[in-house]
Amino acid sequence: MAILYKNIRANIVNSLPLIILYYLSISEIDTHFSNMFEILSFNLQIIIIYYWMLKNSSVLGNGHIFFAGIINDVVMGLPLGISSISYLTVSFVASYIRQVTVNISLFTDWFTFLLAIFFSNLVYLVLILNFSDLKISYVDISYNAFFTFLFYPFIWAIFNIYKKIMVLRADD
Amino acid sequence: MSSSRDDFGIAIRSALLKKGARQRFSLVFLLIIAVIIFLLDSRQFKLVKFTRTLINDGIYRLTNISTAPFKLLPSINTKIEAIFFAMNENKELKVKLEELKNKEFQVEFLKNQNDSLRRILESDVKIKGKSILAKVLLDKDSPFLKSIVINRGSKSGISKGMPVVDGNYLVGKIVEVNYLSSRVLLLNDLNSRIPITFGEDSIQAILSGKGESKPVLEYLPDLYEPYGNQTVFTSGKDGVFLPGIPVGKTEMDELNVKVKLFSDPNQLSFVTVQLIKMSKDF
Repeated sequence: MAILYKNIRANIVNSLPLIILYYLSISEIDTHFSNMFEILSFNLQIIIIYYWMLKNSSVLGNGHIFFAGIINDVVMGLPLGISSISYLTVSFVASYIRQVTVNISLFTDWFTFLLAIFFSNLVYLVLILNFSDLKISYVDISYNAFFTFLFYPFIWAIFNIYKKIMVLRADD
Repeated sequence: MSSSRDDFGIAIRSALLKKGARQRFSLVFLLIIAVIIFLLDSRQFKLVKFTRTLINDGIYRLTNISTAPFKLLPSINTKIEAIFFAMNENKELKVKLEELKNKEFQVEFLKNQNDSLRRILESDVKIKGKSILAKVLLDKDSPFLKSIVINRGSKSGISKGMPVVDGNYLVGKIVEVNYLSSRVLLLNDLNSRIPITFGEDSIQAILSGKGESKPVLEYLPDLYEPYGNQTVFTSGKDGVFLPGIPVGKTEMDELNVKVKLFSDPNQLSFVTVQLIKMSKDF
């Protein structure tokens, strides 16, 4: 009984980042605070994907990232698949960085996160501009990217604390 | 040199192709699937469009349920406020104020735009139909798109392009129709363009969304000297909107004439879709 309880607890705790990712995609709870401060918006999904793919890819699966992207497109009214491609790009950068990095610190994570944001937004912009009639504001995207980058250390610190209560198996 | 290039290739290959216990699909496989879905959707294939309609209806309902607890919080807050501020009296005053405002708009519109209205009324534009009340299911405030999702779709007779109003004030138009839900493009969205008219000279212009709370007026006459606090109405020139729907008041900016919308796009709970079918015989 105790083992069963322990397993259930571990599963819930380990799945929380994934649940947050899905919930952010499916719900109206977002990280765009235009009512408080017009330019303040950041993309928490990208931070979650990058952090956990970098630290322990068993927490989020690529399949889940793909589906979270599809759901996000439906909710936001974007062309289907665009967020998936954007999120998988972040996942790809994180996987690559994990392969080539030995010493991991906040600053290396933060610096390489810039590459993930850059490629993710680049892919997003290229697809929107070439395959869609949607008009987008470059200024808004720039602010979003900037604040996403800026808030990374705070979320990094929170996730680092959270990681200590997780029961994680060795990364694949 | 050759060794570092090999390392780079190995790392890239590993990141793209590696699978694991929770990685049942490789990254490259999912990327290809996502690109295929994106291309099929952007080319508007019928099957994908139909599938998307089904997914939309399901996910919009799910989204509405998942955010329900958070939607309760403001209502609790409102109830507490109502006790302190004598809710009933406030409501009555609001209704009276609304009636007076409507009369004021009516008078102003008739007075200022008599000529253009007569032209519009005498033209061969025929309006048929009624309106339908819809609940806002989803108003996710995106930094890129300003739109809402309502709980009425093609089942209720809604079709693309129909105007959507909040009370008497225009808030946007239908841009996506599913069987049980629709998406409304708000006036402040970057993609929104509405023909409007205002002022004593019945000036014609285009109300353009800029992604901010206040859309701006474009294509104003060359010699027009702008000044603020004028009521902006739809002109109906596009044959989509009824003429004379109040939109907002002009406000002077440094370079642009902005319009402060009567209906706050962030505070919509219920909207009315005007089920109009306009036939133009120009």
